[in-house]
Amino acid sequence: MAEKYLVEPDVGFIEEVAGLGGQDLKKCFQCATCSVACPIAPDNKPFPRKEMIAAGWGLKDKLVGNADIWLCHNCGDCTSLCPRGAKPGDVLSAVRAYAVADYATPRAIAKMVPQPSKLPILLGIPTVIFIIAAILTKVIFGDQGDVIWQSHFIHNYLVDIIMIPTFFGAAGVFALGLKRFLADIHANALAEGKTTKEKIDPAGMVKALITVVTTVLKHSKFNECGDNKDRSTAHMMVLYSFIGLFIVTNCFFIAEWILHIEGPYRQINPVKWLGNVSGVALVIGSLLLIKNRMSKEDQVTSYWDWQLLVLVFGLGVTGMGTQMARLAGLAGATYFIYFFHLVFIWCLFAYTPFSKLAHLVYRTTAMTYMEWAERK
Amino acid sequence: MTEEKAAPASGSIMVVGGGISGLTTALEAAEVGYEVFLVEKNPYLGGRVAQLNQYFPKLCPPTCGLEINFRRIKDNPNIKVYTLAEVEKVAGTPGNYDATIKLNPRYVNENCTACGDCEAACQAEVADDFNFGMDQTKAAGLPFPMAFPSRYVISSQVKGTDDEKRIAEACKYDAVDFSMEAQTVELKVGAVVWATGWEPYDANRIDNLGFGRYPNIVTNMMFERMASFTGPTEGKILCPADNKEPESVAFVQCAGSRDENHLPYCSYICCMASMKQATYVRAQYPDAKIYIFYIDIRSPGNRYEKFYNMVKEDENVFFIKGKVAEVNEDPDSKVITVVAENAVTGEKVRQTVDMTVLATGMQPTAAANKLPAELNYSEDGFVINDFEKGGMFAAGCANKPADVFSSNQNATGMALKAIQTLARK
Repeated sequence: MAEKYLVEPDVGFIEEVAGLGGQDLKKCFQCATCSVACPIAPDNKPFPRKEMIAAGWGLKDKLVGNADIWLCHNCGDCTSLCPRGAKPGDVLSAVRAYAVADYATPRAIAKMVPQPSKLPILLGIPTVIFIIAAILTKVIFGDQGDVIWQSHFIHNYLVDIIMIPTFFGAAGVFALGLKRFLADIHANALAEGKTTKEKIDPAGMVKALITVVTTVLKHSKFNECGDNKDRSTAHMMVLYSFIGLFIVTNCFFIAEWILHIEGPYRQINPVKWLGNVSGVALVIGSLLLIKNRMSKEDQVTSYWDWQLLVLVFGLGVTGMGTQMARLAGLAGATYFIYFFHLVFIWCLFAYTPFSKLAHLVYRTTAMTYMEWAERK
Repeated sequence: MTEEKAAPASGSIMVVGGGISGLTTALEAAEVGYEVFLVEKNPYLGGRVAQLNQYFPKLCPPTCGLEINFRRIKDNPNIKVYTLAEVEKVAGTPGNYDATIKLNPRYVNENCTACGDCEAACQAEVADDFNFGMDQTKAAGLPFPMAFPSRYVISSQVKGTDDEKRIAEACKYDAVDFSMEAQTVELKVGAVVWATGWEPYDANRIDNLGFGRYPNIVTNMMFERMASFTGPTEGKILCPADNKEPESVAFVQCAGSRDENHLPYCSYICCMASMKQATYVRAQYPDAKIYIFYIDIRSPGNRYEKFYNMVKEDENVFFIKGKVAEVNEDPDSKVITVVAENAVTGEKVRQTVDMTVLATGMQPTAAANKLPAELNYSEDGFVINDFEKGGMFAAGCANKPADVFSSNQNATGMALKAIQTLARK
């Protein structure tokens, strides 16, 4: 402790973290039980004890650009053993929520997403867009016969024209954030002695990424967390259904735009099978996650968490609902449910860099960095 | 209101509990002339202090101080001691209480000379509670060599067995009496002081600290008995798994204390107790290494701070700031690895030691079973003294976690409170 360190508390930061689900952070008395309780904390500078004091002192710089907060899979082992009820698991979760907003641009949206009061505006945007799209469909394509097909309500071309730029826009927001994020976590790791590698080499990072993607797909790190066993299957179901649905969407995109094969596709189509299996998995997986959240009494479930859970569940239900209503021959219901489905998808794409789902990108990046940095 | 001013029915004080606080209260009140009934559930006086090897910070044997107190009791006709006695009910108002006491049979009367013939004759063995069940003791015997009253006690377990006959025949003084039965005594007292003390927190409940699973993990009170010449190992500190002399010992502070999942409060004595116990190890094994894992070392006051500094200067004693949250045992060698994060360096520490001592805290006796009287309790089972109402008071660890020194101070104060209740006429 030779060098001096001037503590500059950011009181606003403490309050924000408290508001995002870390309300008990000040109860921490630094016993370090959490760092030992955590089954995945490394031996060198383990978390979350040091994060707890940084949060309590308002040391934003030691947290937001600290990759360790993303290594946590929020199993809650630390919270269960915490002698003070300071809930380190929830504090880290809140710090992650803060970090997501901090790395996202534009700041205005980043500020709105975690606030329940701004939800009507956020939902209003896609609602207006798709109402216009529905009107345009009627104007441009006119009456397209009696066959119930969602493209007859809002044309698939219009949907794609809206969704694709949204998707790439989100990707752009992530790219900007990641650039800063990576620089920050590297600087933090060097400062705290978590790595000895001076300069990030892209080839090494790609190699690390491959290892990490395997870890993520197998959920092997996730499963190292003791309390995560019951959550793991559900979380995996949601992840795999997203991957499945991403493949399905791309297949049908090619079918529409390149091969000019119009839907609705037949139920015996293997791509359709994948879509249906993924859709069902999404509904069940998200329901299990909701159930898990509700059964954990010592865990704070904030708006931040509910937002993603409801979105994922909503995506699955409206997707499957649209198809079922169509097969049942209910035109009104089909279009009604489909409208919400589109709103949910748009929200998923547009708000991912600002919402809890951003963990997909930041956690993977942090894990990749740590794999590369050889943090033990 | 007129009742309050009425003369008390009795000028007597009942003190419940014959530990250090109860002894002090009883003596302080009796020595200024009040009649005192001292009610103790064990067959001996001295309570937790009698189980200790040494006091901190002077490292003198507590039996020395107890002996002086026992002498004072013997010399004082104002004190009536009931051992093996439990208070069943206390009813009434300040100055006017009716107490019901159940006296359990000792099966040995006042003829006993503590010759030991009954113990020699007895064959049955029972777990020795005084040593926390670490060894067995004869079903007839003295709880410990310095026990007061110095009178043998026979377990009711031998009744109806061959031992009954053997014991009765062995006694040359006609002191054994198996016809004794539990009896009830009614006392009229003006004030009651509850000095019901504490129980060591049940370490089995601290899941992550391995007590009960790994034999080389013991509690601080067990360690105290191991270090005592009247204990199960006759004062030699040995690893319970294989009776090996330990080369290293870890002390886990706040084991179940300052913890919402267990006892939310600081038990006050455990830091000092562990540092004291470190000196036991150092005295017996000059090369042994001692690791004390703590959250904060609490050594209140000048004398305790001096003791802390003394222990800290010992090059074989290592203080690590970080609570142990995980323990593992090597199944072959039975050595224990304790895991903590050193919060100063930010490194995880895995320290392998021959023996681990859990510094468990104190839980008031009333936490498990409320006392049979109208009293107010804190959430944790400590009696909250209602001085406004008066009449009944808690002293020592029944009131708050405390060391011997503060218990005695508190007990003296409560003796005066009891006297004031009687004198308010």
